[in-house]
Amino acid sequence: MESILFWVFSIAAIGGALGMVGTLRNTVYSALWLVVSMLALACLFIMLNAQFVGLIQIMVYAGAIVVLFLFVVMLLNLTGGVMGAEEQPLLKFVGVALAVAVSLQLGSILLRIELPWPEVSPEYGTTAEIGRALYTDYLLPFEVAGVLLLAAIVAALAMAKRERG
Amino acid sequence: MSEYAGLGLFMALGAGTILLLLVLTSVLGPRLRFAEKDEPFECGESPLVSPYRRFPVKFYMVAISFIIFDLEVVFLYPWAVVFRDLGWYGLLVAAPFLSMLSIALAYEWMKGALEWD
Amino acid sequence: MEIPVGHYQFVAAALFMIGVVGMLVRRNVIVMFMSIELMLNAANLSFVAWSRLWDSIDGQIFVFMVMVVAAAEVAVGLAIIISLIRNRDSVNIEEASLLKW
Repeated sequence: MESILFWVFSIAAIGGALGMVGTLRNTVYSALWLVVSMLALACLFIMLNAQFVGLIQIMVYAGAIVVLFLFVVMLLNLTGGVMGAEEQPLLKFVGVALAVAVSLQLGSILLRIELPWPEVSPEYGTTAEIGRALYTDYLLPFEVAGVLLLAAIVAALAMAKRERG
Repeated sequence: MSEYAGLGLFMALGAGTILLLLVLTSVLGPRLRFAEKDEPFECGESPLVSPYRRFPVKFYMVAISFIIFDLEVVFLYPWAVVFRDLGWYGLLVAAPFLSMLSIALAYEWMKGALEWD
Repeated sequence: MEIPVGHYQFVAAALFMIGVVGMLVRRNVIVMFMSIELMLNAANLSFVAWSRLWDSIDGQIFVFMVMVVAAAEVAVGLAIIISLIRNRDSVNIEEASLLKW
């Protein structure tokens, strides 16, 4: 049962990623393929006992980041001729060949790893456990994340907002 | 994994209900076709408009605010769950984070990014 | 847990390589940007799988930090893309070759 789920979600994640990169005509479809990939990844997280991270993945990536991408695509109306030429056969060939070679290499190593999974407590990956770690051991990264978010909002407003008058 | 059986059942039931309703309407529903019924419902507007038209950039401002404060909420979920265990310490460590994002909100307000026009 | 950890790592590696290909092959700024998101997510999967293997929560916390970086990057990066396209009226990255215009 679990292996079936793993293969279904893995193929969905990889297929969504391929669809995103491979959709040439309409950027909206690329973004929707990305949603497929993100949802499949969230399911894989949940299979790895990371329930909270999986739900956050859906909330942040599928619910906010891809929506922002779609907004920008609609905002700029990127469906017609603004796209420009994308023909670069040599670059395409070299890129794909390189990626396939590296993936096969990595696969030959990674697929042979046979480390046993440890038993984890039922608490593992729950919101409470994440909270305890985040607010004690990882306090400084948490505060720095707040600073980063502030910087992001200031920068984005400065870039996109035009002064009136 | 077995604790997700209920979720799987729920999703199967949801999909089944939708499929059942679609099949039932296509089998049982009466068919009356005329030109006005076949066009998409557009409230009297001309239906022949491309759905891809430029949105005003105002929507982007809302989307940026949403994404940043969405992340804030993501960090506050675990805080809310362990709040009683942490006690005053929890309030103390969350205060800098929250004030940082309050500054972000105040900055947006000052720049007028929260106003629609 | 019948699936060994290497399989999860392989899925992460494959997703990362697809992101790299997207960066190398596509010339549409927005799709290139989505490829970056994909690479970040592949790293997330790797983090979660390893942290489950060592029975530690650290990898999951790190996923949070990656998500914060991704959100900040998207907010700023898409603002840059918007002003780029307003000025040049194209999403082709090759046209953004001047520092000042």
